[in-house]
Amino acid sequence: MAPISGRQLTELRDALARHGVRYLFIGKSAALLHGFPDTTQDADIFVHKTPANGRALVGGLRELGFDLSADQAAEIERGKDFVQLKSGPFDVDLVFAPDGIERFEDAWNRGEDVSGFPVCSMDDVIASKRSANRAKDRETLPRLEAFRQYLRERGGEAKRLPKLPPDQEGDETRPAR
Amino acid sequence: MNEKGHIDAQWRAEFDAAAARPLEQRLDYAFVTTYKPVLDDAPYRSFDTMEEYRAWCNEELPSWLGYGTD
Repeated sequence: MAPISGRQLTELRDALARHGVRYLFIGKSAALLHGFPDTTQDADIFVHKTPANGRALVGGLRELGFDLSADQAAEIERGKDFVQLKSGPFDVDLVFAPDGIERFEDAWNRGEDVSGFPVCSMDDVIASKRSANRAKDRETLPRLEAFRQYLRERGGEAKRLPKLPPDQEGDETRPAR
Repeated sequence: MNEKGHIDAQWRAEFDAAAARPLEQRLDYAFVTTYKPVLDDAPYRSFDTMEEYRAWCNEELPSWLGYGTD
């Protein structure tokens, strides 16, 4: 068990960018990046499910010091729906098919650039938690919805993400499910 | 937030306070160590589908962790 720190969150962002990984922060870590005051111990990332993106992700994780066996790397490259990693310098959950979100491309188009972090929109964070319907999500949802309302009242222009780059060479996008 | 869309005053105060902090400070406050039994006891887990993951959470994790959907 190794909780992620703010510095490591930045290292994760930078390593995945160097490897050209297409992903978005999602869940509580995304809400925190939007400014939601709360706590967590890991980072959740929504990864575009393509073979080339999976390979890029494995490269980025290994650069960060995650100890992945050949079988584990193959699973990540294949894009299982959910992978929980606690074998590195911090904990990270890889989500390839989050509840409540149909397509990565749509989430990307709704997403925001928060100080260089690619982050799911608050609408998608809430939709995902509502769809997951875990007890802890049901408890957090009213405060998350209030925070979304707070952001709307404050106004300001969200910084949109750049157009999603084309798939890596020879890649083929897989459906989230 | 109540039915009329009004934000609870305490929550608004917390949102205002967070908004006044720079990102680095918010991130320093955000990540904490909390041992979660079972969940934290394996270096790697994977699930073919989210349905499998949710079922595993329901069956294997203590209910008080809040990961269950029952």
